[in-house]
Amino acid sequence: MSKKSIELKKGIKVHFINTDLYKTDLTCIIITTPLKRETVTKNALIPFMLRRGTTKLPNQYLISKELQNMYGASFNCGVDKMGDNVVLKFCIESISNEYALNNEDILKMNIETLLDIVFNPAKVNDMLNEEFLEVEKENLKDIIESKIDDKDSYSLENCISNMYGDSGFGLYKYGYVEDVDKITIEEISEYYNWLISNSKIDLFISGNFDDENIKNLLNNNENIKKLNPREENYILDSTTGKPKVEKVNEVKEEMDVTQGKLVIGLDITSTQENLRGIGNVYNSILGNGANSMLFQNVREKAGLAYSAKSVFFKQKNNIFIRCGIQIENFEKAVDIIKVQLENIKKGEFSEEDVNNAKTFLIAGIKNVEEEQDTEIIYYIGQEISKTNLTIQEYMDNINKVSKEDIIEFAKSVDINTIYFLTKNN
Amino acid sequence: MQVIENKQIKEKLYTEKLDNGLVVMVLPKKTRKKYIVWSTNFGSIDNKFYAPGEDKLTVVPDGIAHYLEHKLFEQENGRNSLDVLTSIGVDANAYTTNDHTAYLYECTDHFDEALDEFMNYVQNPYFTDENVEKERGIIEQEIMMYDDYPEWKVYMNAMKAMYKDNEINIDVAGTVQTIAEIDKEKLYKIYNSFYRPDNMILVLAGDFVPEEILEKIKSKITMKNVDKKTIRKYNHEQKEIVNHYIEKEMNISMPLVLMAYKDNDLTSNKVKKDLAIDMLGNILFGRSTEVFEKLYEDGNLIAEPTIDYEFSKTYSHVMIQFQSDNPDVVIKEITNKIEKVKKDGITDEDFQRAKKKIYGEIVKDYNEVSNIATAIVSDYFKNINTLDYFNAVNEIDKLYVEQVLKELFVEDLKVVSIIK
Repeated sequence: MSKKSIELKKGIKVHFINTDLYKTDLTCIIITTPLKRETVTKNALIPFMLRRGTTKLPNQYLISKELQNMYGASFNCGVDKMGDNVVLKFCIESISNEYALNNEDILKMNIETLLDIVFNPAKVNDMLNEEFLEVEKENLKDIIESKIDDKDSYSLENCISNMYGDSGFGLYKYGYVEDVDKITIEEISEYYNWLISNSKIDLFISGNFDDENIKNLLNNNENIKKLNPREENYILDSTTGKPKVEKVNEVKEEMDVTQGKLVIGLDITSTQENLRGIGNVYNSILGNGANSMLFQNVREKAGLAYSAKSVFFKQKNNIFIRCGIQIENFEKAVDIIKVQLENIKKGEFSEEDVNNAKTFLIAGIKNVEEEQDTEIIYYIGQEISKTNLTIQEYMDNINKVSKEDIIEFAKSVDINTIYFLTKNN
Repeated sequence: MQVIENKQIKEKLYTEKLDNGLVVMVLPKKTRKKYIVWSTNFGSIDNKFYAPGEDKLTVVPDGIAHYLEHKLFEQENGRNSLDVLTSIGVDANAYTTNDHTAYLYECTDHFDEALDEFMNYVQNPYFTDENVEKERGIIEQEIMMYDDYPEWKVYMNAMKAMYKDNEINIDVAGTVQTIAEIDKEKLYKIYNSFYRPDNMILVLAGDFVPEEILEKIKSKITMKNVDKKTIRKYNHEQKEIVNHYIEKEMNISMPLVLMAYKDNDLTSNKVKKDLAIDMLGNILFGRSTEVFEKLYEDGNLIAEPTIDYEFSKTYSHVMIQFQSDNPDVVIKEITNKIEKVKKDGITDEDFQRAKKKIYGEIVKDYNEVSNIATAIVSDYFKNINTLDYFNAVNEIDKLYVEQVLKELFVEDLKVVSIIK
């Protein structure tokens, strides 16, 4: 594998990930912009509008036929939170040219189609097609409302919004139903134009190809020619959050559920060097994997849960603990979890635990290069935080974490919010 | 080892049947990743059997295969092999399906170190009253977690509407009531009856030299066969369905619908049929069809319905799944389209496009060693060689796809399951 990045224009980069590990090529366009209450819903609506048609393929049924002709290439788009930013992601995965049955240049078709979808949308009177708008607004509303269907992620989202409120990381990535109705075709068209002229844009191409060929293809592409240089406009450092809370915030919500969902949001105030490396190892000891304290104590010893884990959001520097438990075991589970948090602070874990956690993390990181999409997500994370660590450097940062580092880190960890989704009374 | 090569996809599959009956398959790939999965042909549907040498029928509680999967990690030295494997730095796991149970790990490093632990724990069960009891609470929580999954409920309800007596009606994890009956004696009995080399397959995919890894595996096999066979018994299933319609209320934002057709023909060429059904999904209501266009524009569909053919030696059915605020409208449109294509046939253009798509999808499946290895396992227990899917794509013709549509998509055998 080799990775090379070229700045096409200021604020617009192409990243070549050359690898012969896969039978597919994966191309992604990623647009990064700050999460704001007034634009979050519009951001979510953009991918819905763009996938509907291009100037050449003016409706989604034609796009779909084109993709099928590329041996069933798959197109995906959506929005994701990264710290206090949102990324709009558009990807096409197609089989490599060597598996084409009639010598088609599938990769070329892939790249050109993707650029058309994002930068050359179907327009009427210089605006996005109004005919798509009403349907897509309804679709977006359905997506926002479907948050409730998956009780696990629903609980996590609600804990996050309770903790961070109505800005940045606290916002729901799909936006808000009450905003959707107000969006007009003028507004969304104007916002789209602003977005593609003022945001950081990254194009990733992963697969087995010749860099020069692709460079030529991109340099000659009308969509790329049209794009202007720009300042990168996004929030670089999202790790400094709110000050420590005085009192733990407890939130209970009732719903028709069989199992209770417990989510505990943790603040981290440490400013240690190598914060991400230490945070990763801390989280691993706490609740990532079968050897972690949460898995061993909440699940294996107490038998309270099937799933007991914690997630570290390194872009925002916080941790969320998640367990599915029997309703009546709420207090018991919270008590056990509090004991684990205290035990790490007191250094009640062994060097072996530290090594196990590192081994576990390193194994996961090595896996990054074995999965095409994971690799792109890794590099966009590095790109946005401007750390640009190679995978080896990332692993080195894990390896150099000491037990003392973890204890110091642990002392800065405090419960901010305890959220519980419980049964209707 | 016996080798099957597929030149189109540039893959080779090596197979060896050991003297004790265990089948070992290796698919070498130049990834750094290594994946191993060891599986027994024993799942939630296998609840009645004559244990080796016994003439009295044994009936086991629902969910016991899955319970055993949880408990096999427990070792006599007091350690749990899942913890041991995790601390070595490999990603270990296990899963139970309707017809098989599988143990696996994947890694880029430390494969050999982990292999000893892996081979050891699968071959040496250690059940005590205490460790069996301890697991009950954990599994109860797993069952309750699934109870809140609309996707799981809509599926189980469809099975209940479609099958009267077939064991596919049994929830893989059982229920809180049935797992209460599980004890260590029952676990040992099913282990000794089904965890025997001639009922198992071991598959490796990734960075391996086939002959070398085969020798290593052979040297670590201690498991032996008993002379007498285990004989399974399944209920007789009627040809008809039980109910055309089943619904349940849960807290969800938009109704979730599963529309299924029972397929009573268990002996036909499943590979070809599986592909034909996948193509039909594309042709009938795929994103490029007029049916989808209309349903989408009217706000009745938000995403393309999925289609899936689920089959084993004892059941088979087609499942079409989607979410919609107006399930009746969608069901009617799809059903009308089915009848229309039955009458008018499939156009050449639609057929060719669907065929191209399906070829690309199979190629993509070979990206991931975990996908390939688990597909080889599940296909093997259905008497299918996974590489046959490529030959079948080449062979499949329009007439065959039309015939599958006519024979399988029959109103009398249709059930609709809805979660509202």
